Amino acid sequence: MASRALWASRAASYLRISVFHRGFSTVLKDLKYSDSHEWVKVDGNSATIGITDHAQDHLGDVVYVELPEVGASVTQGDSFGAVESVKATSDVNSPVSGKVVEVNEELNNSPILVNSSPYEKGWIIKVEVKDTEELNNLMDPEGYTKFCDKEDGNH
Amino acid sequence: MRVARCLEVWKMGTINYLESIKLQKKLVSDRKTNKISDTLLSLQHPLTYTLGKRRTDHNMLIPMSQLKKIGAELHYTQRGGDITFHGPHQAILYPIISLREIGLGARNYVEKLELTMIELASLYGVKACAGQKGETGVWVGERKIGAIGVQISNGITSHGLAFNIDPDLNYFKHIVPCGIADKGVTSLRKETGLEKCKSQRWEGQGSFKGLQWLC
Repeated sequence: MASRALWASRAASYLRISVFHRGFSTVLKDLKYSDSHEWVKVDGNSATIGITDHAQDHLGDVVYVELPEVGASVTQGDSFGAVESVKATSDVNSPVSGKVVEVNEELNNSPILVNSSPYEKGWIIKVEVKDTEELNNLMDPEGYTKFCDKEDGNH
Repeated sequence: MRVARCLEVWKMGTINYLESIKLQKKLVSDRKTNKISDTLLSLQHPLTYTLGKRRTDHNMLIPMSQLKKIGAELHYTQRGGDITFHGPHQAILYPIISLREIGLGARNYVEKLELTMIELASLYGVKACAGQKGETGVWVGERKIGAIGVQISNGITSHGLAFNIDPDLNYFKHIVPCGIADKGVTSLRKETGLEKCKSQRWEGQGSFKGLQWLC
């Protein structure tokens, strides 16, 4: 994980993206985060959604991703699909409400992308956002970093 | 300072699979809203085959008609993992716990389920270990003695582990257990040669072991 964090920070600096380092998991600037460890990148009323580096690390190697149908509705905080790792299926919740416009079919062949590239190639769905005000319910990178530290501290 | 936590253990005896699913759904919902504390179900099932979310039915080797003849049920579930068999004298634990409250992810939780079974086996002098990567479960050499299949919804677990005390291992011949074709299954009885392996006693010990790491 340490070498992956080093790689991530080098890539980030090359791409001129700011990153926060929280131990071994990466949190990216310019994304919003849910308390169930999903991230959302919003561009106008189009949103890309995935799970965070913290989430993929805690899950283990993903072997299967259950994707919703294109056209399905999603609701903030509700499950839209699931990932399977280490014989455990974990719900993935949507950080925003709206309609699914695209799913990452690549995950059917390479579910491991969720682990190896959680913020880029491992994106899960794209959504046409219903109400951008809902983003105010989500955490910014600093808030999410503190949230993760607190949750891990419970152990 | 760690807050004191409570684990309620239900020793249920033999319970039909669908009844246990119905109960778990209710308990997960109650646990999510904090109506109940962490709960551990300790039980056995009658002859039952179950599939996980990926619905790998190609690993069921006999047709439905034959299943009916032998008096076994088949159920599709939302848990992780492949096909497995449950039956009398196989001890099952279904922890309904909040992983977020104890800061555990799926990987660490499953490791602790494996440890529970490994420690239990060691009490009977059986050296078991966790599987290699991609072979989650508990093994004695090349033989699987304990299986895991979990569902996590909003951080609350359901389903869990199944440990072979002394089930009739012939029932595993009707499936490719856990989708792994080239390895066998075993039981505490087979590994120890003990004539009497009382599942009821294990229910108590298994629950206790489960308790130890949860607290």
